[in-house]
Amino acid sequence: MEKMKTKDFIKEIKDALEIEDEDQEITLKTNLKDLEEYDSLSVLSIIAMIDKNFGKQIPSSDFIKITTIKSIMDLIGKEHFE
Amino acid sequence: MGVKITNIEYYLPEKIVTNDQLAKEFPDWSSEKIEKKIGIRERHIVREDETALDLALIAGKKILENYDKDKLDFLLFCTQSPEYYLPSGACILQDKLGLREDIGAFDYNLGCSGFVYGLALAKSLIASRIATSILLITSETYTKYIHPKDKSNRTIFGDAAAVTIIEKSEEEQIGEFILGTDGNGYKNLIVPNGGLRNRYDPNDKEIDDSSGSIRTNNNLYMNGPEIFNFTIKAVPKVVLETLEKNNITLDDLDFVIFHQANKYMNEYLRKKIDIPKDKFYLNLLHTGNTVSATIPIAIKDALDNKLIKKDDKVLLVGFGVGYSWGGTIITI
Repeated sequence: MEKMKTKDFIKEIKDALEIEDEDQEITLKTNLKDLEEYDSLSVLSIIAMIDKNFGKQIPSSDFIKITTIKSIMDLIGKEHFE
Repeated sequence: MGVKITNIEYYLPEKIVTNDQLAKEFPDWSSEKIEKKIGIRERHIVREDETALDLALIAGKKILENYDKDKLDFLLFCTQSPEYYLPSGACILQDKLGLREDIGAFDYNLGCSGFVYGLALAKSLIASRIATSILLITSETYTKYIHPKDKSNRTIFGDAAAVTIIEKSEEEQIGEFILGTDGNGYKNLIVPNGGLRNRYDPNDKEIDDSSGSIRTNNNLYMNGPEIFNFTIKAVPKVVLETLEKNNITLDDLDFVIFHQANKYMNEYLRKKIDIPKDKFYLNLLHTGNTVSATIPIAIKDALDNKLIKKDDKVLLVGFGVGYSWGGTIITI
């Protein structure tokens, strides 16, 4: 599987959270739980996004530990990113 | 010799809860967002004094308006919302529906896979010459288990009863089955208290799941992300295996009916498996997820809306609580 660029991953996260505002700044340090778009419905989208791009399922016990965008990338595995 | 589905009817309780009503109770919930994402606008809910057996009885009487009840020689009742620990609801239904006494009747406890398992049981009973005409009732009232402040589950689940008649026939119209079980996931969709392991506790403490849903262990608990993980792994596999066992390809199928879990999950599975959109049914706008009743309701609605017709080959896949899953192909 191809490695993904960080900026593409952030774009995927924005899509999953349905953030349409191009200017809304999301960085590796953004805490998902601080985003008003992050709710139990968007969790489904993130699971789907990770499965689609990386063929991986993140156990829910790890999922609840998610904080920043970086922490999701760590869960998926550094080897999947450029 | 074979077996076929000859009739389907269903009943939805009268009381309706709309997204707008839920959005009033849960101000951070958007009515439009719920409909767009999970494909549900409203769900039917039983009254306090109404049970899965009551719904089953109404649906059962409806189907018997056009079917000679004395032909029925077996009753299968699938529910996880029983009247009593004992006796079986099926025995009560035999009497209340006025069915013959020389017939077999029993309950079985399954959720979203329950209809497919019911077809497998019915087919076996007919093939082994134990029965010739079977009444399969799948009736569920999960809303009775859901905490009033559990936003997520109140949004997803609705109550319903479906009744299906399966008969001996010339041609085989119910194909081969793939059934599966993984009890390792049993804690991810569960009502922890109320059985004999953990008794119902009126003083059980409230648990806040941090996404705005509250429940106690007396209530239904669903670990949504984990259930989604399970379906991502199990459903594509059961689809492929069912096609293979029936010697048919996706292209040769006329229609696909999955258990109606929620629109987002089902759509994701559809894309992952590469099922064409026009062959794939989403049917939960007015009912929500009605557990073991979703598939027969979808078959009936697809027939009534002329989405499927005689001789069509339709893939059915049920999956969920247990975990338990099953797939088969029926010929309409």
